[in-house]
Formats: sequence, structure tokens, C-alpha cells
Amino acid sequence: MLAVTKLFNESENMAAIPVSDTRIWLRSVAERRDRHAFEQLYGYFAPKIKGYMLRQGADDASADDLAQETMVQIWRKANHYDPQKAAVSTWVFRVARNLQIDRMRKQKFYELTLDTDVSSNVENLQHDEQLENHPDTDRLKKLIGELPEEQIDVVRLAFFEGLSHSEVSCRLSIPVGTVKSRLRLAFGKLKTGMGEQI
Amino acid sequence: MKITHHADDATILAYAAGTVSEGFSLLLKAHMELCSHCRERMSLASDLGGELLCELEPVPMSREGLSNVLSVIEADTLDSVTPFKSPSVSSDMTSVLSEYVPHRLDELPWQRLMPGIRQYQLAGIESGNGSVRLLSISPGIRIPHHTHLGGELTLVIEGAYEDEIGHFKAGDLADLDASCNHQPVAVGNKPCICLIATDDKLRFTGLLSRMVQPLIGI
Repeated sequence: MLAVTKLFNESENMAAIPVSDTRIWLRSVAERRDRHAFEQLYGYFAPKIKGYMLRQGADDASADDLAQETMVQIWRKANHYDPQKAAVSTWVFRVARNLQIDRMRKQKFYELTLDTDVSSNVENLQHDEQLENHPDTDRLKKLIGELPEEQIDVVRLAFFEGLSHSEVSCRLSIPVGTVKSRLRLAFGKLKTGMGEQI
Repeated sequence: MKITHHADDATILAYAAGTVSEGFSLLLKAHMELCSHCRERMSLASDLGGELLCELEPVPMSREGLSNVLSVIEADTLDSVTPFKSPSVSSDMTSVLSEYVPHRLDELPWQRLMPGIRQYQLAGIESGNGSVRLLSISPGIRIPHHTHLGGELTLVIEGAYEDEIGHFKAGDLADLDASCNHQPVAVGNKPCICLIATDDKLRFTGLLSRMVQPLIGI
């Protein structure tokens, strides 16, 4: 119980956690079933996942349960995470999102499998540093911060409140076409800024 | 396979956010299994979701939260760890489809809608007011002029069609919204087979097709 209390105190300062730490923790869970590393992941992600579930419309008790359940899935599926393909936050978001769709919307969701077998990739890496820029989360964070308010608002309504284009349109009293064009503008800036030829 | 028609950025973001219908998610997954252009954008959209999650204000977990989770994972047997399965890699549209459709295309119990047009409705996919269906359109046959109350995604499985927007062949995805009024025609020498998902009813604009719409149920 002492460890739990300590973790809660630490969680007040979690904003300072570097991205590379979350990656080390998740890999320790995947490779060594490291309970301590898992508790670190819990301290950082569970309160954010709870916040996500609340924004999606869950009440406090359900949001807590769903965040706990997401953490259990993270433990069980840690070996699916491929550090070369995505940031830890991306992977955690997908686990939380899928659980939310399944439990709250009671809907099946056909998810594109972006994962590949992590064990074969790990062998090819001599140093963890080689993974530093997959993807460049600092750059992405900066680009998100530079988006005009009206664009990031629409993005947030889709990602956090689970609103479809037409629901965002009703919420903001703007035409669906405007919702889509704001999303396209925002995403266009991110694509250009990340230097992707897409 | 060279794919020239893709999902709209706004659709990719909705897919990454998880706000599309089940039917839309099926079509987008099927298209992206073959389309690296959309896969890359999907990857960036998912990174965006992850980054936004990190920016969320943390909400304190219940006192017993961590001990609950630890007791669940301590009770885990080896079986509880989800084994990693390499995703199956599909090389053409028909193999992508085999995951969702129980028979080969030529063995499906097709239903005749009108001369030259047959459909097969995919069962058990939640799509609100919309639907997910396969259409087989004989060469030279036109689908009546229609617009959409909601969105419509069309994935070409075999053959090709043309409309006001362009030429669509196997693997191409048409991502249309309510403002689009189009009249596709199957081209080439074999039927064009498409997977079509709508999230609301189509609206036929011609008088005759408005009369048959209740009968064909599109």
C-alpha cells in the first residue's frame, strides 16, 4: 500500500515524464513482465485514460473501471507494441479507444493492424537511441500547439468527445462541410510539418 | 497494386478517433490493408490521438484502482497474455474481402435489384440508418443518379467504374459526402463489384429511381 501512496504523490508531477521513459517501461513489461515498470506506466497513463473516458461521457466510476481495464489490456498486450512503428502514447491511445468503442458504444470496430512482431525488431536494434525519433513526438506536440483554436477545437471534439462530423456540426452550429475543411486544414499542417510526403 | 483514389483526411481523422460507423471501419480497414498512402496518414492521425491523450489533464484514479489492476494481472495465467499473431498480408482485394464475406464472390447468394445490378447485403454490421453491401454492376450499366444524406464509402473489389469524379478500379476508395450527386457506370468487360457503406440512406434524384428506391432498399 505504501508503494501505491507513493505513486499517487508522484503522479502530481507526471507532466515532466520524458517520452523515452514510457517506452522503457513498456518494453520492460513486454520483455520481462516487469511489475514495477507497469506501476510507472499506470501512474502516468491511468489518470489520463480516466480523463479520456470521462470526456467520452462515462461517469466517474465507469471511467475509473475503464481506465483500469485499459491498463490490464496494456499488461496483456505489451508484446504487441512495436517501438519502431509508433510512440507509446499512440499505442496506449488505440487500446483505450478500442475499449471505449467496445464498452460504451457497444460497437465492433475494424481496426487496421499497424503492429508487427516486436521480438524480431528488437533483435535488430543495438541501441535504444535508434528509436528516439519514431515518431518525432516533440515536433508533433509543437505543431499541435501552433494550430489555430477553431481547428484544434474540432479535432478535440472528434478525439475526446467521440463526435462524428455531423455531431460536431450540430455542437458548434457550423455546416458539416466546415467541420471537414477545418479537420483537413489542421491535418494538412501536421502532415507538412512532419515532413511526410502524404 | 496502384491505388489512385483515397480516403479524405477528415475521414482518416474520424477513423483514428474511432467515431466512424462499424461499416465504415470495415471498408477503411480493407482499403488500407493495400494502400500505404492511407496507412501512413492513419499512422499520423493515431499519433495525434496519442499526443492529445498525453495533453489531457490527469484525473486521479480511485484509491483501490492500482491494487485492483495488480490483482487481476497477478491472477493471469500464461493464456491471458494475448499471443502475438502476425497480421495476414493481403495482396489483392478479393483476399481482403474473404475475412468478412463467407463465400467466394461467384458463390454468393446475390439478390437481383434491377437489370444488370445485383446486391449482397453483409449481415451483422451495425451501421445506424445506413448499410454495408456488395454491388455487382454489369458492364455499361448505370446506377441511377443519387446523392447521400450522410456519407458513402465505395471500395472497388473487381472490375472498374467511372463517374463524374473519375475512373475507379480494384483497390480504389471513393469517399463521398452529402454534397455529391453522382451516376456511376461500370466500365470494362466484366462486372464491377464494389463494397459500399453508407451511414444514412441514399437519395435518388430521378423520378423513376425515387419510385424504385423503397423496393430495392438502398
